[in-house]
Amino acid sequence: MALLKLRGVVHRFGRQVVLRGVDLTVESGSCVALFGGNGTGKSTLLSVLSTRLRPRSGRYQLSGFDALSDGESARGKLIFVGHHTHLYGHLNPIENLRFFLDLRGVSRSEDRLHEALEAVGLARFAQRPAGGFSAGMRKRLALARTILAPPALLLLDEPHSALDRQGAEWLNGMLGAYIEQGGAVVMASHDVARLAPLTYRVAWLYGGKLWENPPDGTQKVEATTA
Amino acid sequence: MTELMRYLRGAYRIAWKDVVGDLRRRATLSSMIFFAVSVLVVFQMAFEPTRQEALRLLPGLLWITVLFTSLVGLGRVFQAEEEDGALEGLLLSPMPRGVLFLGKWWGNLLLTLLVELCLVPLMLVLFNVDAWMRLHLVFGVLLLGTLGLTALGVLLAAMTQTARSRETLLALLLLPLVAPLLVAGVQATGAVLGSHGPDATPWVRLLLVFDGVYLVMAPWAFGWLVEE
Repeated sequence: MALLKLRGVVHRFGRQVVLRGVDLTVESGSCVALFGGNGTGKSTLLSVLSTRLRPRSGRYQLSGFDALSDGESARGKLIFVGHHTHLYGHLNPIENLRFFLDLRGVSRSEDRLHEALEAVGLARFAQRPAGGFSAGMRKRLALARTILAPPALLLLDEPHSALDRQGAEWLNGMLGAYIEQGGAVVMASHDVARLAPLTYRVAWLYGGKLWENPPDGTQKVEATTA
Repeated sequence: MTELMRYLRGAYRIAWKDVVGDLRRRATLSSMIFFAVSVLVVFQMAFEPTRQEALRLLPGLLWITVLFTSLVGLGRVFQAEEEDGALEGLLLSPMPRGVLFLGKWWGNLLLTLLVELCLVPLMLVLFNVDAWMRLHLVFGVLLLGTLGLTALGVLLAAMTQTARSRETLLALLLLPLVAPLLVAGVQATGAVLGSHGPDATPWVRLLLVFDGVYLVMAPWAFGWLVEE
């Protein structure tokens, strides 16, 4: 059974129709990379998938839940890391992670939190307020949440932005392991080169529609095809 | 963890985040206390009321000070959510919207009550009113009024948080809506202090009714308000 099923999703802002009947199916243990120019609706589609944006029409099922009528259950199955990292600057990384986990009803030991920080390379900043962190550090901290409470679906908007080369390599490694363990990823990206080490399905947003490769088209897109 | 425990823990964590954030930034609480003390000192110096006059004026002065002080706090209640899309982060959590409201409300309620704890004894000393034996009754009435005032205030703060002149708009919306609760609060405080009629019961009942209405309506309306 598919983890995520989107059918005939339409959304518009005022008179501008951004999504014109988008269909998307994502299986567990797979990755879909959304490509498309600026303003083609990638972020809008991710917002719909995150349940933050309610489409004008269409159906959306996530992990067996009707995500449009039962957003609360659907949100328990996903994590969205977009342009914003949703961190509080006055809290340190441990407090930020604890806050996130409490809102998801997940309990983790202090040691486990430190291990997650170690995994994202922020262990020595554990007691510093996140407000002083660089964009890359904030992104790493936001991604540490997925280590502590692995969701069924990870939504990422431009995941490699703000990360240096080492950070991008770390992210690809983390995503690879997460997908291998059965997690599903939908991400919007412009950066084909940085996605190269990952195996993913390509979906193009163009004219408000999603253009996918053939169903068996799970393939590796080389950087040169960008 | 039962569902209820999960919700209460989530609401507690939101309130904790707001209170800790405020204490670390020394922002809202210090402004509220500074404002409240300034009002009392200026009033005392301007009018120099006798003990009898002070007893008569005290309920009104107390509630006006509480109202404007809470406006200072309410104007900043979603300040922490402005950075780095934190409000979106809250809304992406698998918590019912009412629980998110509860957390924000608890945080603001706690800060307002802390200010009131400082405010009332200071008032009695400044105005030389001997009501120390009835202090618990004054706090009881204040608590009842503050429950409704902050619940409505946090809802309106959420409504106006994206407006350009949000603090003005918040005051414009809050003042007329909260007026009946203020009247009940003033009358009940006067009654327990012995300056406004003998019986506080009808006014306390009225406060309870307003609290009930605001506390049922606000979490529901908040959920409706934050949906895109």
